Amino acid sequence: MATILQSAVGSEALIHLHGLTREYASRAGAVRALDQVTLTIERGEWVAVMGPSGSGKSTLVNILGCLDQPTHGSVRIAGTDVHQLSRQELDRFRAETIGFIFQQFHLIPYLTALENILLAQYFHSMTDEDEARRALASVGLGDRATHLPSQLSGGEQQRVCIARALINQPPILLADEPTGNLDAANQEIVQEHLRTLHRAGHTIVMVTHDPEMASLADRTVELHHGRIAAERRADLTAQK
Amino acid sequence: MFFRLLLESLFRQRRRKLLAATAILLGTATVTAMLAIGTSVGDKLNHELSSYGANILVTPKADTLDVVVGGVSIRPATAGSYLRESDLTKLKGIFWRNNILNLSPELPLHATLTQAQPSQPATVPALGLWFHHTLHYGTESYAMGAPAMHRWWRLQGAWPADAALDQAAIGSKLAAQMHIAPGDSVALNGEPVRITGIVSSGDATDRTLLLPLALAQKITGQPDAVRRVEVQALTKPEDALARRNPDSLSPALHDRWYCSPYANSIAYQIQEALPNAQAEPIRRITQGEGTILQRISGLMWLVALAALLAASFAVAASMTTAILERKQEIGLMRAMGASQFSVASLFFAETALLSLLSGALGYLLGSLLAARVGWEIFHSTIAFNPVLLPAALGMALLVSIAGGAPSVLRTLGMQPAAVLREDG
Ligand SMILES: Nc1ncnc2c1ncn2[C@@H]1O[C@H](COP(=O)(O)OP(=O)(O)OP(=O)(O)O)[C@@H](O)[C@H]1O
Ligand SMILES: [Mg+2]
Repeated sequence: MATILQSAVGSEALIHLHGLTREYASRAGAVRALDQVTLTIERGEWVAVMGPSGSGKSTLVNILGCLDQPTHGSVRIAGTDVHQLSRQELDRFRAETIGFIFQQFHLIPYLTALENILLAQYFHSMTDEDEARRALASVGLGDRATHLPSQLSGGEQQRVCIARALINQPPILLADEPTGNLDAANQEIVQEHLRTLHRAGHTIVMVTHDPEMASLADRTVELHHGRIAAERRADLTAQK
Repeated sequence: MFFRLLLESLFRQRRRKLLAATAILLGTATVTAMLAIGTSVGDKLNHELSSYGANILVTPKADTLDVVVGGVSIRPATAGSYLRESDLTKLKGIFWRNNILNLSPELPLHATLTQAQPSQPATVPALGLWFHHTLHYGTESYAMGAPAMHRWWRLQGAWPADAALDQAAIGSKLAAQMHIAPGDSVALNGEPVRITGIVSSGDATDRTLLLPLALAQKITGQPDAVRRVEVQALTKPEDALARRNPDSLSPALHDRWYCSPYANSIAYQIQEALPNAQAEPIRRITQGEGTILQRISGLMWLVALAALLAASFAVAASMTTAILERKQEIGLMRAMGASQFSVASLFFAETALLSLLSGALGYLLGSLLAARVGWEIFHSTIAFNPVLLPAALGMALLVSIAGGAPSVLRTLGMQPAAVLREDG
């Protein structure tokens, strides 16, 4: 009800996925990781994607982040049909619009924490060391700027990733199991950061297995075999 | 940031890069050495081979009309039987003057040798020669003479001075027979002469007294006279054209014949320059020189090519694994919005830097190697050839970029999600 109302009243939704299908060719035949997924996400919304392993959560997030292309269906982000973009435009779009947080922290191992953040600035536009230092400080790692990823704990590495994802102020933040490899204390820290970002107006799409994490989101989307099996809003009881 | 990234990542994967760098280094070193040797071996070997003596003999024309009766030449000793020493300068004026490396005029005679201690005077064969004669032509001057023509001569003591009329060297057997040592004073046709050195040659020269040409001319009373001249010239191996009679050739072919440094055409030009002279190629090593040279430089090229190929394969293999190990990194950069171009330029810049460094080192090593080989084989160094530096760098660059490009481009062509999924 609420979703229909919102899209009818406001301008176009920030993210609009329509009939997304993603098939992987494999020796045993095609695997359908996503099957006719249609989903609308509003500006500033925090969406949790849940579902069993292999249900297509990462595939969905990767397509959303323009790291992968659907076999069928369309992805509209901020009014742009991603499919219409040229390679260069897509690179640009990704740099401008999307910040990633991965489960396996994915830092460049030979660059320091600070340099990893500078790198994101470099690929986006220009490096600004002061700004990068402030970003590190904002995730509580102001004193670890010159440490290599191997010298940081898992939680600290993930916080560097958050700082890196945010450095270019992307409107959309995609997080694929951001706390999957963290202990409770670090999970708490990451949750706190996400909450802050949500309050600041970022749109967050987050994959998680953890119901407690999911409960922070405005809405939970449940995938089963590549289809949306259930959708819940935090303030409402389960729909459908 | 680009350079920071470049520098930081340059020292990553040290073992792999060391491997690739070593392959590049060895490859370029071998190629540089081979090319350096190959390009200078021609000259060196030519000099080396032609140092084994004369390949053209010049005699007075009258000699060819020799009249021999009962094994004895009855040719009168006319002026026509001699060449003029002063004419020899003209040989440096012919078309192939730069190919004429050495001239050794000879004037044979017999002289009476008397030792200082009263003893029997003996009549001995003697030969007037240039030892270290300076031949002037225009503003240039050339050192020429018999010792350089006969490299195998071994000297104990010193050569006589070319201008000295009271010095001589003596063949080893003659010296032993007459108990003469370097520094001894003897009388030659009654005139005092000091023996400066003893020569062993392994041929008739061992029984001969060697005089400065000027002294021989004085003794025979034939100023400016030379009986024959040995000429050492760099020549092109004989081919079908070389063997043709120049007078029977068409004008065009004649020009080609004339302008090729065959022993024949050089001899022909010598005859033109010295009117009453007869110049004949002496077929000794000349024939083989060119062929040996061709084979050796062919071999050098082959080795160079093989080294280059081997290096390319080694580089391609290690570049490929190095890049596959870093796929995650590529995927990550792409997720951050890095364009394919900026990732590719980063990887190629790194590869280029690596290959230029090792190529430069390879050039140095190869040049040292060539110099060393030059010293061992030719006893003369092969100079560093700066032309080979860009060649070596270019080769290193080409080999490493070609080796790394396929894997970089393939990874960049993939969807970033697929790259990130694969474990590095
Ligand atoms: N590159 C690929 N090639 C082949 N099959 C793939 C590929 N990527 C994903 N799949 C398949 O697609 C399906 C969905 O994968 P996906 O990674 O989206 O699952 P997921 O929901 O993220 O699982 P998990 O919770 O374990 O991370 C799986 O069956 C997987 O095997
Ligand atoms: Mg997943």
